[in-house]
Amino acid sequence: MTALPTTPTGHPPSPAPDPLRRLVDDEVLARCADEPIAVPGAVQPHGALLAVTERDLAVVVASANAADVLGTTPATLADLLTPAELDRLGEALAGDLVEAGPMRVAPGGAELDLVLSRSGGLLVTEWEPVAGAGQAGAAWHRRLPTVLQRLSAPTTLEGLTAVLAREVRALTGFDRVMVYRFDAEWNGEVVAEDRRADLEPFLGLHYPAGDIPAQARALYATNWMRLIPDATYTPVPLEPPLVPGTGRPLDLSGAMLRSVSPVHLEYLANMGVTASMSVSLIDRGRLWGLISCHGYSGAHRPSYADRTAAEFLGRTASLLLHTVVGAAERDGMVAVAQREAELVAAIGRTPRTPAAALVDGDRTVLDLLPAAGAAVRLDGRLHLLGATPPAERVAAVVPAVLRAGGVTDRLTLALPGFDDVADDASGVLAVEVGGRRGDFLAWFRPETPREVSWGGDPRTSKVTDGRLSPRRSFARWTETVRGTARPWREHEVTAARALAAHLGEAVLARAGEDDRLAAALQRTLLLEELPKVPGVVLGARYRPSEADVVGGDWYDLVPLPSGRLAVVLGDAAGHGLTAASVTAQLRHALRAALLRDEGPAAALAELNRLVAALLPGEMATAVVVQLDPASGELALASAGHLPAVHAGDGAARLVTDGRGPALGLLDDAGYPQATLRLESGDRLLLYSDGLVERRDRPLPDGLEAVRAVVAGAVGTPQEVVDAVVDALDPAGTDDVTVVGLARV
Amino acid sequence: MQFAVDRVAVHGRPGLRVRGELDIATVAQLASSVAAELAASPRTLVVDLTETTFLDSSGARQLARTAKDAAAAGTALQVVCPRENAPVRLVIDLLELQRLVPVVESASLSGGEVGS
Repeated sequence: MTALPTTPTGHPPSPAPDPLRRLVDDEVLARCADEPIAVPGAVQPHGALLAVTERDLAVVVASANAADVLGTTPATLADLLTPAELDRLGEALAGDLVEAGPMRVAPGGAELDLVLSRSGGLLVTEWEPVAGAGQAGAAWHRRLPTVLQRLSAPTTLEGLTAVLAREVRALTGFDRVMVYRFDAEWNGEVVAEDRRADLEPFLGLHYPAGDIPAQARALYATNWMRLIPDATYTPVPLEPPLVPGTGRPLDLSGAMLRSVSPVHLEYLANMGVTASMSVSLIDRGRLWGLISCHGYSGAHRPSYADRTAAEFLGRTASLLLHTVVGAAERDGMVAVAQREAELVAAIGRTPRTPAAALVDGDRTVLDLLPAAGAAVRLDGRLHLLGATPPAERVAAVVPAVLRAGGVTDRLTLALPGFDDVADDASGVLAVEVGGRRGDFLAWFRPETPREVSWGGDPRTSKVTDGRLSPRRSFARWTETVRGTARPWREHEVTAARALAAHLGEAVLARAGEDDRLAAALQRTLLLEELPKVPGVVLGARYRPSEADVVGGDWYDLVPLPSGRLAVVLGDAAGHGLTAASVTAQLRHALRAALLRDEGPAAALAELNRLVAALLPGEMATAVVVQLDPASGELALASAGHLPAVHAGDGAARLVTDGRGPALGLLDDAGYPQATLRLESGDRLLLYSDGLVERRDRPLPDGLEAVRAVVAGAVGTPQEVVDAVVDALDPAGTDDVTVVGLARV
Repeated sequence: MQFAVDRVAVHGRPGLRVRGELDIATVAQLASSVAAELAASPRTLVVDLTETTFLDSSGARQLARTAKDAAAAGTALQVVCPRENAPVRLVIDLLELQRLVPVVESASLSGGEVGS
């Protein structure tokens, strides 16, 4: 590489395995970073330097070759310049030196380009012979408008850098011109190249961050161009070495003749480079990369005008970088945003089942952004798409990543204990879904063992005699970087979070809507008032759950064609809208079955078949009694329900016969039927588990309490029902339903 | 007791130990643990309710679903619930869950001792 001093610099900031693990200690690195590249005390020999006072142009510091280049040893610039030239110099000094441009002068007869700059309160004048410089000629400069047009035409980075490499080589005549891009850790990669046909390509090669130390990068971010026409040059010392009056060496960071580090010259020699030039590429103030030019066949010095044109191309490309990189980024962002909108729309179309919208649709959550696998956990259910770790590992990995910030492109290196999922999940992007605890969306990217081709083994820099020596071998050296995945882009993370936020709102909105619907549905399940059945006295109490969700209790009274009365009390498992909807279907189906008047057991068997066929996965319990008000004959059948209480003569018992399995448990079940007689003055009590279910009271104790209260209660069935509810003091976390009946 | 579903080995067979209150608030945890186990289609699976302190209808429904899912996966499911755990065992008995899945006093090699 051109102008890339070789001394390694500080450690890369990343926690990634440092592929450039240095064989040097920190102290040496620190000293190295202090190497005075701005104040080398010497210049290159292809020109002479005079530092003069600005007031009277008296020479203060001169390079030792001044007499050779200028033909004389001047005391002031008046010894070198004509009065007319001195006037022009005065005008230049009064204006902006950067805009002054070189002056063409000939103090000793030979033409020189005189370049002006300021440093440490002095005017720095550099005198470079025109003879001996390569000239691209006027033809190239006439083509400049075309070149600029070509440079600004590409919409991709590849296009822009390719044009840049080609045009800079055409302009400067170097054997090889590369565009070199830094990554976040300052390793470089050759992203474009134009070269002599017989040279080995360097395109795609990587160079370790250490090849360009931090202080060199700092210099390159402000100084656009460096030139070494002859990499075998002998430095020319400045005399005196320290500026009189200040006692400090002259700062040459803005000088074109600045002598470079001997370590860097050794580095170039190791690469076979005999002449080099580099132009900075700076994107919005940050060093983005370099245009790096190599000559391999002796000294090579493009003219000052050609170098200026190359620098101009570099500056122009720098301005364009932002727009082409931005355009590529924008394309990705637009695509991700579009898919996000599609998913949000899908959720909107089926707000009841957001998981289905994300998992089963034409567009799934896996399409949101480039990833190999995705996981959706909603309402506690985990759905996996594409290549992911197994479910139980997803359940462990995602919360761990969420705790660590939600984004990693190196899971196994960042968090312990996940080595087994590295293949599928080296990259994890996880976002929480609000509304339900523990719900999330997550995307997975596989480990991408990256082949990195280094221009030489990056680890070969060594300390010898307390000084770093540059890498000697530049043979292509390939390394595999493991444990990392393709990084998550900022817009991808943003889209994932936006989708999760939307989903959280949808879930919350759905929950609220569900509650209203369920409550409305539940009201239709309850009787406005108890029907008047001759010969029967009824009492009932329904107390909805104190929680925001509605339970699945129902009760029903069905006068039958035979003149008998069927009384039903049931409870569908679960809460909320689903339970309420299941309850509504059960109630109406059971009503229809009962109206066949084949008895409670037959009705339950029919209902069970219906649940198994039409409501798979649901479960409910119910007890059905059928009373002949005239005779007091009572038939009872229970599908997994809590035992009814039969009270009479100051005693009460739990009715434990007439029992069969809960509804929905078996595809087909027969139910036995108990028969008993409800004497005048007897009472029968049916109830749901909300009455007896309390965390602090075991169920057997709750049943005994109900039995005891009913045994001791007096009054109408309604009074008994109220007494039982008051005495049992149910928890209120579930619906409480109690129905009592007696004969007149 | 904090609710937890732990993976355990019962006589070398995969098992899930359910501790605490299995109800509408915690049932999803059992569901996902069961789904994870059944994904591997084991020959047998034990769900141990010995340390389950409470079982509501949602929890019971999940046990029923688990039994059906296990059957579909070709996995022989066994539920362990000793009679000493009366609050939970009574719910199981009332629902007659044992008509769907063997409910046993303790995990056994034979898988016998089907509850009443």
